[in-house]
Amino acid sequence: MSTQDDKAKEVSADGAAGPIILFFILGLAASLVFGWIIFPKLLYSQKKQPIDFNHVLHVEAVEEGCESCHFFRKDGSFSGIPKLEQCVDCHEEAQGEDPNEIKFVEEYVANGREVPWLVYARQPDCVFFSHAAHVKKGEMDCGTCHGHIGESEHSRVYEENRITGYSRDIWGKNISGLKKHTWERMKMDDCAECHTTKEIKTDVETLPWPINWLPRPYEKQTGNQARVKTVKEACFVCHK
Amino acid sequence: MKIGRRSFLSFVIGGAAGTAITPLPWKLMDDSSIWSQNWPWTPVPPDGEYSQSNSVCTLCPGGCGITVRKVDDRVVKIEGMKGHPVNDGGLCLMGLSGLQLLYGPTRVKTPLKRVGKRGEGKWEKISWDEAISEVAKKLADIRSNGGSHTVGSIVDSENGTVPNLFKRFLTTYGSPNFMTMPSIQDSYAMTLQVMQGVSAQVGFDAENADFILSFGSGIIDGWGSPVRMFKANSAWKANGKKVVQIEPRLSNTAAKSDKWIPINPGTEAALALGLANIIISNSLDSKKISQSTGFDSFKKLVQNEYGTDKVSKITGINSATIVSLAKNFARASKPLAICGKGQGSIPGSLNEFMAVHALNALVGNINKEGGVWAVTDTEYINWPKPEMDSIAENGMQKERIDGAGSEYPHTKSLLNRLVEVINSGDGSLEALFVSGANPLYSMPGSKAIKNAFDNIPFIVSFSSYMDETASNADLILPNHVYLERYEDVPTPAGLSKPIVGLTRPVVKPQFNTKHVGDVVMLIAKALGGGIADAFSWESYEACLKETLGVKWDILVEKGFEFNGDKCILEGDFNFYPDAMKSLSDFSPVSIEGSAISYPLLLIPYDTIRLANGYIGDPPFAIKTVEDTVLKGKNSCVEINPKTGKELGLTEGRYASLLTPRGKAKVKVHLYEGIMPGIVALPRGLGHTAYDNYLAGKGCNFNELIGSTEDPVSGLDEAWGIRARLTKV
Amino acid sequence: MKEEGKHKKAKKYGMVINLDECTGCGACMVACMAENNVPFKEDESNKLDSIAWMRVYKLTNGKPYPEAEICYLPRPCMHCEGEHGHAPCVSVCPATATDYNHETGIVSQIYTRCFGCRYCMVACPYHARYFNWWDPVWPEESTKYLSPNVSPRMRGVVEKCSFCFHRYQLAMDKAYLEGRTVLEEDEYQTSCTQACPAGAITFGDLNNPEHKVHQLAKPDNKHGGRPGNPNVFRLLERLGTNPKVYYMSSREWVRQAGDNYINNEDFAKNYRQ
Repeated sequence: MSTQDDKAKEVSADGAAGPIILFFILGLAASLVFGWIIFPKLLYSQKKQPIDFNHVLHVEAVEEGCESCHFFRKDGSFSGIPKLEQCVDCHEEAQGEDPNEIKFVEEYVANGREVPWLVYARQPDCVFFSHAAHVKKGEMDCGTCHGHIGESEHSRVYEENRITGYSRDIWGKNISGLKKHTWERMKMDDCAECHTTKEIKTDVETLPWPINWLPRPYEKQTGNQARVKTVKEACFVCHK
Repeated sequence: MKIGRRSFLSFVIGGAAGTAITPLPWKLMDDSSIWSQNWPWTPVPPDGEYSQSNSVCTLCPGGCGITVRKVDDRVVKIEGMKGHPVNDGGLCLMGLSGLQLLYGPTRVKTPLKRVGKRGEGKWEKISWDEAISEVAKKLADIRSNGGSHTVGSIVDSENGTVPNLFKRFLTTYGSPNFMTMPSIQDSYAMTLQVMQGVSAQVGFDAENADFILSFGSGIIDGWGSPVRMFKANSAWKANGKKVVQIEPRLSNTAAKSDKWIPINPGTEAALALGLANIIISNSLDSKKISQSTGFDSFKKLVQNEYGTDKVSKITGINSATIVSLAKNFARASKPLAICGKGQGSIPGSLNEFMAVHALNALVGNINKEGGVWAVTDTEYINWPKPEMDSIAENGMQKERIDGAGSEYPHTKSLLNRLVEVINSGDGSLEALFVSGANPLYSMPGSKAIKNAFDNIPFIVSFSSYMDETASNADLILPNHVYLERYEDVPTPAGLSKPIVGLTRPVVKPQFNTKHVGDVVMLIAKALGGGIADAFSWESYEACLKETLGVKWDILVEKGFEFNGDKCILEGDFNFYPDAMKSLSDFSPVSIEGSAISYPLLLIPYDTIRLANGYIGDPPFAIKTVEDTVLKGKNSCVEINPKTGKELGLTEGRYASLLTPRGKAKVKVHLYEGIMPGIVALPRGLGHTAYDNYLAGKGCNFNELIGSTEDPVSGLDEAWGIRARLTKV
Repeated sequence: MKEEGKHKKAKKYGMVINLDECTGCGACMVACMAENNVPFKEDESNKLDSIAWMRVYKLTNGKPYPEAEICYLPRPCMHCEGEHGHAPCVSVCPATATDYNHETGIVSQIYTRCFGCRYCMVACPYHARYFNWWDPVWPEESTKYLSPNVSPRMRGVVEKCSFCFHRYQLAMDKAYLEGRTVLEEDEYQTSCTQACPAGAITFGDLNNPEHKVHQLAKPDNKHGGRPGNPNVFRLLERLGTNPKVYYMSSREWVRQAGDNYINNEDFAKNYRQ
């Protein structure tokens, strides 16, 4: 390039410096606003549960807390969200005056139709989650992963990711994916938080640091097949 | 302020920088990777409550108990029922694929009426009421024109409530033409009739035998009650019992046996009598047996006509082998001889059955532990005799169209003759009902059968599937699949202990189908009069409950019930009934074709992986078929490499298989396990109906063969046909 | 916990298949297909792309008529251990979609990680791995019989026998509910084992002396898991894959058929090494 052009550039650069910085800042601000505020609004659709369910009311009415309706079957499987026949035990007819309950009885109970609940914790098909392992063996509290649903009087809005179809509860309320409480996020990394650090209820004789950082076979095994500290090779423990 | 290219670029860069510090790109990446794993056409089976139900599989006469696993109201797996006396937890691959028959693509979902020509595949959906009134009207017309005896039915067997409902219907309607699909059970029944004077089913105490001499029976290829025989075979192996398999081809049974003896096909009776000769001559026969009726004539017969050298020449088996076989057989403590080739779909030569039965009698195992038993079915069907009006009485006096009971006095049903009679114009049927059978596919001589059926103006099929017979019917009244209905399951084939089983619905009917028992009752009620009176039950289920009486509760709880020893029939053994007279001048069972035009012998072989009766292979089962049996669209024939060399046929080459009855393009598979000069073709392929998973694959063996009438029983005894194989 | 007070070895789930009893009926093939949502196509006669996690092969003794003999050999995934868990397929997977689990001895296959490079198929000497060239098509209502315990695959992923690991997961669920972590021998059995009508397949923990598979095969862990029972052999023993499926046959030609030999090799000498 000739010196003439350089000079011309300098001149115009000096003159254009203002707008450049301005537009840079504008672009930055616009994208920040878009990325942090508008994007989540666009990404998630707001859906309502078919019936606005009041957990507090029901928890007070039963004796065993969460497990009264979300129970384990004899074969160890977890019943998940109750089916119609469980609700019908009490709600054959409307028990009160609440329009939600009336809607439930008229539209669902009367027609024998299952309520199409939207499941906040729904994981992809590749995931095998054993409630028995966590609740019975791990003696974990429901709230650790599911939050304080039992204390809610209304059903939360189900925010469905338009691209993947999963609930916002999986990635987390915060669009950045950062969380403050254990129940705010349900991706695999969140399971890994416990499963790569905690040594509770394991009878593996691990050798002292730093050897315990090394992969097998330097770790002496005693073969507790469901060690909480799950290593890289244990895919089949949680996947199917 | 200059808003130019630079401003624009800086805006974009600012935007990019900003975007990079928002979660947007990372979240979008994560989301799109999830999106790419969740195509809407990849099914996600919903989870639910797991449960199990017990029932009985009815896909073959084996009668295995099954445990069905369900998720909510969907069946997800069929497994063998542990503790069931027939199969104790094991199940064959057909039973395991049963779900594809329940939810599969070939199901007929509603009653159908034909529009267009037969076989065109054009159907009109009609309601059950319309269907039943149409059938009733047709039958009423035929009856009022004096043609009640021209109505016939083809049912899978004669045992159980459903076949008996058909029989009852035809009787009160006025027709003797109740026909069943043929099998070795017919030959065995005849043998027991002529040699023991009893009307019974044959049973084998296989588990307790210690030397099994099998004349081509496919013990592990699907003979008898398949899974029961598998377990017996394993038990024999584990306990060192001996199995000798006599057949021209190394089948799976022969491969697993202790000794495979190849034999010239059609000469099995000669071998049996030759063995009898050696046993008698060496005084190895059971002591008391010489006092039986006809023993002396029998002894004369075998000693004069069945000397070892002569038999060796006839059968192609080495004399020394014959002698040692006879001696080993007779010296075993619990010897058992069985016959009925392959899975037993062809009744076979009566001479062969009688000869083998005589062999069993000689070693004293009739109605003994480890031997052959004459069992009668649990007599639980005790319906009151129906009242018959004059038309019914008249109709029942007429001769059966298939000549059973008249031309062939002892036989009960001769479906092979029905075809001949119609084709030769000696008789005709106005209406035909087919239930639990697919004769257009599974009867030998497909062309002749099609011709005969074309001459029957009104055909109704109760098939749950669009099989060959249903495709060529006028009305299809689809039955529930076994997983959707209640039905009694009488004693499985070949069991020496009479058992009743109960198949029960594990799901509600998936489509607009009706139980065939209910349909028969509704048709009867629509016809009114004496016919309706004979079917006073409310429904089939009510009929079944009433019939089973106290057994119902036991069956609902357990799924099966024994019926002890009451049902074993003793009779006087006759070693030399009239039927045996033709054996005094032995000739092998003759087959069609001249040796000059057709130098090879074509025999069928059965494999448990190919269903060749009422059910066609579900997709899982046809998937297991090897590429040396079916390749692309062609069946593979097995020939000995020597024969292959003579004909210039190499492995995998296409060839043309020609018989006096038909032609097919096949692929060649060279196999050392078959006698030179013999060509083997599997049964069960060559479907033209069903769905794309089964239709158009290979050729139907039945199109290449015809049936040959046994001179005494009239049953089909064709074990094969002559053939020619040429390069294509 | 008290019940597990004793020092326990890691499990090694394996199989012993009795080839004398195997009838070649194919029930194991179908049971596996039904249990594991295996897809099917209209034409399955091209065995190179026909997916059959459990596949029954036919062996012959190569002799002419009438000395010809045949034997059927069911082949699931061998769940090779190799040395210290380096199964051939695990060693080559670039996505860690497959991995060897030391606690159960099972080689896992995670469909969501697999991107279909098929390197593992090249590496597997037993042809036990199958690729979904096309999206599975489930005709009409067939999706109803799909089991929720096994994830149906999409096109482009490799699948293989998993020793019905989902049954292990479900059995452990039940065990946890009942407050225990030890499974009985009959609580975790594969679908093929359960279905075999001839009873030819036995499945269990090779490291547990009370399990039948251990008693039949007598594996020697110090020598790459070689069987101690002279009638028991493994396929391609000398490759060092340390497979967990053992075969039993009283016929020498069948045992011989389990490996490849160079001409003039002394079979007996090398087999016993």
